[in-house]
Parts: sequence; structure tokens; C-alpha cells
Amino acid sequence: MSSIQYVQVKAWDGKVSVRVRVAGQGPALVYLHSAAGPLWDAFLERLAEQYTVYAPEFPGTSPDDPYAVKHLDDLQDVLLVYEEVIRKLQLDRPVLVGQSFGGMLAAELASVFPQLPSRLVILDAVGLWRDDAPVVNWNELPASDMPALLFHDPSIEVARKMFELPQDPEEKVKAMAAGVWALGCTGKFVWPIADRGLSKRLHRVAAPTLIVWGEHDRLVSAVYAQEFAKRISDSRVCIVADAGHIPQMENLEATLGATLGFLAEQGK
Amino acid sequence: MKISYFQQVPYRSLPEDFESKHESVVTTPYHDLVTPEGVRSAFKDALDEMMFAARCGFDGIAITEHGQSSYDMMPNPDLFQAAVAYMTEQEGLETAIYPLGRSLGKTREPLRVAEEQAMLDCMSGGRLVCGFPIGLAYDANSNNGVPPMETRERFDENLELILRAWREREPFSFNGKFTKLSNVNIWPRPLQDAPHPPVWITAIGNPNTMKFILENNYGFNYFGWFGPKVTGRRIFDRFQQIAEELGKQVNPYQVGFMQMVAVAETDAEAERLYARHAEYFFRKSLGGIGMNRLALPGGIDIRGLEFIFRDPKDFGIYEKMRTITFKELVECGAIICGSPSTVRERIKEFASDFRIGNLHAMLQFGSMPTELARYNIELFAKEVKPHLSQLWSEQGYQHHWWPQRLGGKPA
Repeated sequence: MSSIQYVQVKAWDGKVSVRVRVAGQGPALVYLHSAAGPLWDAFLERLAEQYTVYAPEFPGTSPDDPYAVKHLDDLQDVLLVYEEVIRKLQLDRPVLVGQSFGGMLAAELASVFPQLPSRLVILDAVGLWRDDAPVVNWNELPASDMPALLFHDPSIEVARKMFELPQDPEEKVKAMAAGVWALGCTGKFVWPIADRGLSKRLHRVAAPTLIVWGEHDRLVSAVYAQEFAKRISDSRVCIVADAGHIPQMENLEATLGATLGFLAEQGK
Repeated sequence: MKISYFQQVPYRSLPEDFESKHESVVTTPYHDLVTPEGVRSAFKDALDEMMFAARCGFDGIAITEHGQSSYDMMPNPDLFQAAVAYMTEQEGLETAIYPLGRSLGKTREPLRVAEEQAMLDCMSGGRLVCGFPIGLAYDANSNNGVPPMETRERFDENLELILRAWREREPFSFNGKFTKLSNVNIWPRPLQDAPHPPVWITAIGNPNTMKFILENNYGFNYFGWFGPKVTGRRIFDRFQQIAEELGKQVNPYQVGFMQMVAVAETDAEAERLYARHAEYFFRKSLGGIGMNRLALPGGIDIRGLEFIFRDPKDFGIYEKMRTITFKELVECGAIICGSPSTVRERIKEFASDFRIGNLHAMLQFGSMPTELARYNIELFAKEVKPHLSQLWSEQGYQHHWWPQRLGGKPA
């Protein structure tokens, strides 16, 4: 595994300290995690071979500061904090990649601050709404429904590992509480429907954009790939076969290949 | 002790296999399960039962709020209380009008709550007692779209606005996070204006809420559905302990407790009459609310989550409600069922033990038909209530959480 370090970035008039995991080498790539909280997976590990990956943790999801989220009231506050963090990291037009909830944040940032990213990659992003394909309110479901919601095939090893809890009872308690709390922190800004008007703003995205979607996504249907594509002028869609909501876990090679191919083609 | 009659409006003829097919809230299919007559009679009978209880001499008529719920079709208790306020005033019945579940974490229109309840106080001639729960997750968050992490904040802000709207003499501006108003000046204001009608908060064990209640000198309501023999000691000891930490002496009249009660001539007869209605209530009502509906991510603080995961006993019998038997319900105290002497001894025992000065007796529950509900109400009023009313009355406590017109002493 690549060496990992954390940096703390003070933002929001000093009230919020965002922890950013930094790994790898090469041009800057900012990765925004899903609603479930920070997770370092093989996708990021592989991206870090060619890019310096900066993975900020959503306020409230870092273990030592669960109440940072209380300083933010709405999505606008969140976007301003992320813009400030990226600015203070002195990243010059980084690649912006986001998964699910993080995909929505990435698309929002690229809409509100069109000059911020050099390129945008969103994976199974929430943020839009179609009545004929309602996005599941994931926080409303029993935990036992999650594997089948997130994975095309929940029996595969990466799926089982993602839901594994520590053996030690106290560690297990902490991990369960942190998991639920992370969903609560991110959920605050999208409950009960993750549509805060992004469809009106997407036309502002200036960065070349890759829209990646798991073919069998049951949380946010692959029909949304086209919804993003038709609103972002310089964009293309890649549907990943044999994958649900987290294509980078269920079909890593295809997802990574598409992402790295797109980034290489658009110039590092 | 003040003894109120506690009412819900359940749909009473759900099919036998309901609990294996449906949840009892949010997604329960309406048209597949109800008939117009079933719904109509549920409202008619519930209101009749409330008035019957008022005529039987109960000290208050208490009612909760639940939206999108098959077990309590009561999206707004103030509507029902308006009818009871008028009718009891007409008949000269000195009973408290007690909407004990107007959820303030749920409401997006706090000023409407202030207005409705001011109307109730005026209509009842100053007999209103206010119950403001924070709100169940499924109701506040799923039914009303409030982000779980905002429920508590909304509750705090809404309560502040409502109390100011009642208290302030002049119009004022309110610049809250959720409500912004340039002139708050409601008509009418409550008749009880010293400084406002009594306020009760319902809590299920969260120490922060208990602290908030004590610091502000509100009443504390706790509901016994989770099995008070399992949870009561923990909850009421916690309340006493927090009071001690704050240097406060708890007055029993500051504590209210909702208890399901079923009375008949003998213990055996009571079981014969009520057992299946009690099982109906727990299996098809509370048992049909999944944990994912009660605890949504963001609604419970991370440290609270750790506490609950470490020690889930505050939820008592919740896990087995869907298949619970009458015997188990009696054992854990979720229902007190028996002859008048059995019932009064048991109530006296826990009310003394837990220092409870207000009882909310739930006497209609589940599928219980209205004739049986009235029998239960009447027998309780005649054979149980008189034996309990004197509890605490000779120990010098003042009831600061009850309307002055009904013998309360504003703090």
C-alpha cells in the first residue's frame, strides 16, 4: 500500500478542520467519498500510482471531530468549505472524482466553480431526480437491505468485506456508531431527496467530464447517466457491466480503465 | 395523582397476517386494508370514548400525534381536542385538554401550533396542557421530510418561538434558522398567561433531553410501551440522578407516565376480555415499526449511538413485539390487566416506586371494540381511579404543571 498521510485544513473561518488523506504521486486528483464516509479502496490505491490523491473527509465523518458537521447548515455551506479546502491545499485545477453522494458534490463544485477542476469524473452520482426512476432514500432502509441495494452481486468478497465489523465488542460499537453517524452527516444535506437544484446548474460545468455508471445500480438507476450527459456539454458516458452502485468495487478493472483512459486522453 | 384518559385512533380490523406482510407506518397500504365504515367508526368511537371518559371524571383527556400510521390515525391531535374542548365546556366538565403529542421536531409551521393551541386554551376556558415531544423519527423525518440531524434543532427553535408568541406582550421579529417572521403577534393568546399553559416534553431516555426538561422546569412524560418492569427503573433513576446533578428536587407532579390498563371483575375475566386486543396492539402497531423507522441516521448523536449499541436495554421488549404474547406483556409490565384490586395495587406500587404524579391510562388499545373500551373506562373510573387520586396529595407538593382552573399552581 502506498504511504498514507493526513493533513488538516482549517476552513470556514477556522470553525471546521477538514482532514484530508493524501497518497501517491503525480498530478493532483481530489476524490470525494460516498455518503457512507471515507473509505480507502483498491480504486484509490491504483489511482495513487499515477496521481496524488487528496481525499477530504466530509465534516463530521473524521473520528476525532464528529461535530464539525454542526457548523454547516446547507449544501451551499458544504460547497464553500470544499472550495476553500481545495484552494488552501494549493491544488491548481485538480482532477475531481466523486462517487455517489461525493459524485453529486463533485458535480456541484464543477457547476458552481467551473474553473476549479481540470476534469471531472463522477461515478453513480446522486443529485438529479426523475419521477419514473426515483432515487432510493438509502438512509431510510434497514441496514440488512444495504448489500443488495449497493451491489449487483452482494455475495462477492469485496461486498462482504465492506460490511464486516470488528470482532472486539467495543471497537464494534464504535465502528457501528461511526458508520451510522457518517450517513447522518451526509444525509443532512440531501434528506429526503438528493435534489438541490443541480439540474439547473450542470450547464455551467466547463471541465471535460466522464460519467461512469454501474449497469445494474439499484440505488440510482443508470438512466441518470444520460441525464448528466445531456446537461454537461463536454461529457461522455461509460456504463460498467456486472456492477451495481459501486462499479469501482464490483468491476475495478473496467472502471479504472475507463477513468485512467479518459484522464490520459484529456492530458494529465 | 392526576389521572388522564389516553386515547389513540387505531384502525381496529387489520387482517390476521398484517404484521407478517406490512409495516404499520409510512408504507402501509391504505386502500387494500381499510373500509370507509372502518375508518369512520374509528373516529366516531374514539371521540365518543374521550367524552365518555371526561364524563366519568378523568382529570385530563390526552392524545398523541402520528402521521401516516395505521395504529394511530391522528395527524393532528389539536383537531380532536377542539371538539373535546367545546363539548366539555358545554357540559361543565372540569377536565384538562391535553394534546400530549404535538411534535415540535416535526412541525414546519410552529406558529400554527402556537395559534391552534392558544385557540384550544380559549375554547376550553384555560384548561389546556401542552405536550411537545421531539417526535418519532419516521414521523418527523420520513413523513414530514425534516432531515434527521435537524429534528432536535427544529424542536428547540420551534419551542422557543411558540413560548415567545404566547408570552410577549408586543409584536416581535423572529429570525430563526428555520422560521423567519417580521411580526409575530398571534390572535388569540392563551388564557393561561402566567406565563403560559403548562408544558410537557416526552422523552424515551436520552439524558440530554432529561437535562433540558429539568433545566427549564417542564414536565417529563414517559411512555410504558417498552415494558416498565424492564425500563422503568433505568429511566426514572436516570431522571432522578440528572435532577440531583443539577441540584434539583424532583416533584412527583413533574413526572407523567403512560400505562396501558385493562380492568374487569376478575383477573381471569380481564385476560379473557383483553388479551387479544393487547396482542393486536403490540404486534400490529409498535411491533410493525422497524428500527430503521425509529432511529434514522443523524437523529441520534454519535455518543448516544455508542450508548445504545453498548446497552440497548432502554428499548426493553421492542425487539420481540411483533410476536409478543399476552403473558409476556403482563410480565414486563407493558400492560396492567386484572381485577380492580390487582390493577390499583400494581399502579400504586410503581407510581410510588418511580415517584409518578401523573398517570395517562390507555384504556382503549388495538382492536378493542368501543363497548369494551367504555366498560374498561367506566370500571377504571369507579374502582381504580378513586384509590389512586390521593397519592402524593398529603405530602405538600404543588402541581406546577397543571392548569390553575383545575387546581394547578403556576410556578
